[in-house]
Amino acid sequence: MCSNNPYIPMPVEIIKIIDEVDTHDIKSFRLKFLNKEDEAKFKYLPGQFSELSVYGKGESPIGIASSPTEEGYVEFTVQRAGAIQPGLVTAALHDMDEGAKIGLRGPLGNSWPIEFLEKKNIVVVGGGFAFTTLRSLINYMLHKDNRSRFGEITVIYGARTPGLLLYKDELAAWKKRDDIKTIITVDKGDGTWKGREGFVPAVCKDVAPSPKNAVAVICGPPIMIKFTLPVFFDLGFSKGNIFTSLEMRMKCGIGKCGRCNVGYKYVCSDGPVFSLAELDELPRDF
Amino acid sequence: MLKKTAIQKISDLAAELLAKGTLIAPVKESAGFNFREISDSGQVDFSFYNTLMSPKSAFFPQTEDFVRYDKNKSVLDAQCVDLNLKPIFLFGVRPCDVKSFEIMDIHFSGTGAVDPYWKKRREATTIFGYAFDLKTPADSADFYSTLNIGAADPEGSDIFMMKKGDGLLLKAITPKGENLLSSLGSLTEASADEIKYFDDTVAAGRSFKTRFTCVDDKVIAKKLEDLFHKTEFWEKISDACLSCGACTFVCPTCYCFDICDETLFAAGVRRRVWDSCMFTDFTMEASGHNPRTKVYQRLRQKICHKYSFHIRKYGVISCVGCGRCTRSCPVNIDIFSIVDQALKE
Repeated sequence: MCSNNPYIPMPVEIIKIIDEVDTHDIKSFRLKFLNKEDEAKFKYLPGQFSELSVYGKGESPIGIASSPTEEGYVEFTVQRAGAIQPGLVTAALHDMDEGAKIGLRGPLGNSWPIEFLEKKNIVVVGGGFAFTTLRSLINYMLHKDNRSRFGEITVIYGARTPGLLLYKDELAAWKKRDDIKTIITVDKGDGTWKGREGFVPAVCKDVAPSPKNAVAVICGPPIMIKFTLPVFFDLGFSKGNIFTSLEMRMKCGIGKCGRCNVGYKYVCSDGPVFSLAELDELPRDF
Repeated sequence: MLKKTAIQKISDLAAELLAKGTLIAPVKESAGFNFREISDSGQVDFSFYNTLMSPKSAFFPQTEDFVRYDKNKSVLDAQCVDLNLKPIFLFGVRPCDVKSFEIMDIHFSGTGAVDPYWKKRREATTIFGYAFDLKTPADSADFYSTLNIGAADPEGSDIFMMKKGDGLLLKAITPKGENLLSSLGSLTEASADEIKYFDDTVAAGRSFKTRFTCVDDKVIAKKLEDLFHKTEFWEKISDACLSCGACTFVCPTCYCFDICDETLFAAGVRRRVWDSCMFTDFTMEASGHNPRTKVYQRLRQKICHKYSFHIRKYGVISCVGCGRCTRSCPVNIDIFSIVDQALKE
């Protein structure tokens, strides 16, 4: 019952914690497998997620923020959750130190459509905290073994304030590269901010990526998605060439517990990544 | 292979099964009958119509322990809970309930990730199906003939049983059933007349009447998809619903579960427990966002899951017409009537 049981977490150690934002409620956790065979089995692609497991608290589904091209660890960026009640697992994680051991189940769900993206120009649009699996995708595409498989890469990423931008060192590094166009915006700058100001949909309109042989991969808060999609439709992107990642409350993560359905699809096992064309076939129940 | 025994001697058969493994059979309790693990062969009582709770708990118990942990110890010390199963005999399952196992198999072990608990319990179990008594009219809530299930269908059972006068006929349906049946000494060979009676009853069961409406899988699936955003329809049918979830707990094909950590001081168990899409917090995210805050949205989810989403996903209706949800609903909501109304919309 204990081997190959999808409900039993694998033990991992937190080897690094990175405080990502100036509000200190979003941290990245770099995890190392404690069993070699677990590490060998954990083959993932950008866009997939895992259940982070803390005994006595529970489990939380979190997107994988590292790229499979990064070896020796897997990384998750976790927000301390809970507007109404504190999220037990995320609070416990935020209170942990490096060296703590937790559980991990995964990789779960489908991925960004890597094969479909090949040979195409990729426009990555992210908002706020929902940039984690997009970062995985970008780092995957930028890896020297993979870069030639993809066309032009444009990244449009926005946060409310400069202090809320994730992965600041990487954003700076991407800006210096000539094989990726990186546009960073904040809703409102502070005294030191020299970059763009403006909401993501407006910046997308301004940048106006060409729809020719292009795919848009969009992930962000619902309000951003709501106003960004029409911009891409106007630019001429078809619904089959726009992808996003859904969230629903989850428990099992493997399509068994019946919780995260939108229509006949389970977000955990049929998703979380869906094209706009696929979402159009589902009832608006999320 | 057709064998027989006398109803009066059913305790002898129960005793033989008890000697071979675990026996789960309907037992009379104060509120009605329920499937229970039996320790005394005299407990088996064949005077039931159907059980209050479905027999799904034989494979999908209301609580299933996954892991024992101690918060003061490392995650490496957590102990996975093993399932040490003896052969299980699930005795006296009505044909509609037997059908539910096949529907649940598709979900738990036939598609995508395999649920090891369902699979292991299922493999350890021999199912003794049991025909409804065709001389007694069906309960007014039942509608299994709508779902094309006969009152005496042996399919899905390993051994299928029916009453004949004071006797009980038992027929092996699968090789597993055949092996078991041939090893049971308390049974005797059935006569040619009894073989004919068995076959005639199976055939008669096909035309046995329960509530009936013509439901085509694809038609109802599409109909409910079209009705999904017609809020007035759902508000009307859910007007009385208390969102209590009783319908989902008694249902043989409802499989939603939660995974909970239950800790007392430092020691605890991670277990799964039944959950229900009728509960308000079922879909509530940590952010506070909840796509189904209203009763009509939850009842819509339940109906559409069974008669639309499940068909799109797995190709079958997730309902066997056993009537339990209707019988147990405190405000008389009836899924059959809802489906019937939907078809007329």
